[in-house]
Amino acid sequence: MTPILETKNLKKYFKTKKGMLHAVDGIDLSIQRGRTLGVVGESGCGKSTLGRTILHLLEPTEGSMRFNGKDITKVSPKELAQLREHMQIIFQDPFSSLNPRMTVSEILVEPLIISGKFTREEIEKKRVELLDTVGLPKRYANSYPHELDGGRRQRIGIGRALALEPDFIVCDEPVSALDVSIQAQILNLLQDLQEQRGLTYVFITHDLSVVKHISHDIMVMYLGQMVEQAPSEELFAHTYHPYTKALLSAIPVPNAHKRMQRILLKGEITSPVNPAPGCRFYSRCPYACEECKNPQRIEQVAPGHFISCCQARKINNL
Amino acid sequence: MSDTINETITPVSQRESLVEIKDLWVEYRIDGGVVHAVNGVSLKIHKGESLGLVGETGAGKTSIAKSILRVLPDPPSRIAGGEIYMDGENMLKLPEHSMRKIRGKKISMIFQDPMTALNPTKTVGAQIAEAIILHEKMSKAEAAIRATEMLETVGITKERYTDYPHQFSGGMKQRVVIAMAMACRPELLLADEPTTALDVTVQAQILDMMTNLKKETGTSVLMITHDLGIVAETCDSVAVVYAGEIVEYGSMTEIFDDPRHPYTVGLFGSLPSIDSKELRLKPIQGMMPDPMNLPSGCKFSPRCPYADENCKCAVPSDVTVGGTHIAKCFKAGEKKA
Repeated sequence: MTPILETKNLKKYFKTKKGMLHAVDGIDLSIQRGRTLGVVGESGCGKSTLGRTILHLLEPTEGSMRFNGKDITKVSPKELAQLREHMQIIFQDPFSSLNPRMTVSEILVEPLIISGKFTREEIEKKRVELLDTVGLPKRYANSYPHELDGGRRQRIGIGRALALEPDFIVCDEPVSALDVSIQAQILNLLQDLQEQRGLTYVFITHDLSVVKHISHDIMVMYLGQMVEQAPSEELFAHTYHPYTKALLSAIPVPNAHKRMQRILLKGEITSPVNPAPGCRFYSRCPYACEECKNPQRIEQVAPGHFISCCQARKINNL
Repeated sequence: MSDTINETITPVSQRESLVEIKDLWVEYRIDGGVVHAVNGVSLKIHKGESLGLVGETGAGKTSIAKSILRVLPDPPSRIAGGEIYMDGENMLKLPEHSMRKIRGKKISMIFQDPMTALNPTKTVGAQIAEAIILHEKMSKAEAAIRATEMLETVGITKERYTDYPHQFSGGMKQRVVIAMAMACRPELLLADEPTTALDVTVQAQILDMMTNLKKETGTSVLMITHDLGIVAETCDSVAVVYAGEIVEYGSMTEIFDDPRHPYTVGLFGSLPSIDSKELRLKPIQGMMPDPMNLPSGCKFSPRCPYADENCKCAVPSDVTVGGTHIAKCFKAGEKKA
């Protein structure tokens, strides 16, 4: 089956005073329709830039992207407008991503008006439908975003993304700004919508328990590069990359009797400006050796399980 | 990967209390009404203990901590009632100059955002030394030596003494803030979401360091957090806050193994788990109540799956479940699934 989205060697660099910032550096990914790919990593690893580059909110520096088999690396403004009917985004911050001067229902139907393909009656019908889809009571139709709390605002963000009935949605930390009880409501809503509509998600987050809960496949990023990718269950059962291991062990577990054997990393994330050609995790890795200073190859160690670490076989006795 | 821990801790009932909060009420007066932030909180922090204060945004956690230090902005906020005792004295009645001797010396606080907690125009060393000079009878040179020691304790080399905050990363800044807070060996450290702004691998470093520091100094910690994982790893006892009230209190194991308040149960149900695969989360229905217009009866009743007519009109009082375990719920006696 053709994957709904495929990227090959996707790169996004930013020019800075100090040099080239390698925000996304050679990402290959492929997502099948109806699946969720979780992209996880710490701040500055390039996960949001990746999401935005896929949607052409940023133009890629190098590499190629295919959507439903069609090359979308370079698109004209007209093609882009059409593309956006199929791919949408939900932003992290439900406070700054909604226009404070528009009412809830105006925000929800704005994509329909912009597309120009809908009659007034259809738009009116959609107005009510969308509120219902995202579980907002009709009385909020004429409220302004500031009148609502974070969870309800995020529901508007989701409703707006769904207005044109896209197949593919990039969720950029959609629950990070929310309290846990509200976070659970939104995660359930996203899962229900996926089931009903066969949606495909790229779910970007720094929260590993959230990503495990919602994703079919998970990609772990570090400084712009993929370090490990595997089906969700496989990744948690067999973690091979030293960074993924440390990341997993760092999560505090809400259980009175269980403690992870913690791997404490040295230092903090290094600069993505003009990085050395070798493994980016080199300076913090407990297993680092001379060999790691060479560029890393991506290897498949189990079906669908990829890692980028020359020491992984040795460390894990593979 | 994981193993069971068996630490023997002195039963809480046998421990001396360091700070005791009695029936604390805090309100904020804003345009259009009064926000009831803290509504009759009573709480004991014992010597050498780590107490977790858990709750969601707007539950009143930070207001409780700031009341202890009396650093709530007045106006708009006001401590409307209650007493807070330390060493037999009601701190809420102390004159301001006495409070100043307590802040940073007996009790200190670290904040969520290390970026705004430091003075950008002074070197980090000078900022740590400032707290020491203020409270200890030390010369500048002696304070500088102590400040250097503190930096090393939190894992920063002494060469960085003369660096400015902007030259540090987020995790390193939080280390500086902790060094400053611990410089005078306080008896109580109020830690307000100390790792929320940090990445998980850095959070792990900071929590590890705080645990070691606490072991060495015997400082009591009030750990304010929304993360139940952090509570499980760092706290001896837990107080769950909802709508300005402590709805459940107990030892860490009592709360985690046998939560009795439906809100606590709901918090656990909302968490996606790293160990097991649940297909759907069980979130708490509805939203936090508006603190300007709190519901009558039990404040959790509009969202509670167990609520009946009685819960909607009568206010529940503390029910002892066993040991130190208390829940503010009419149905606390029943086990919650």
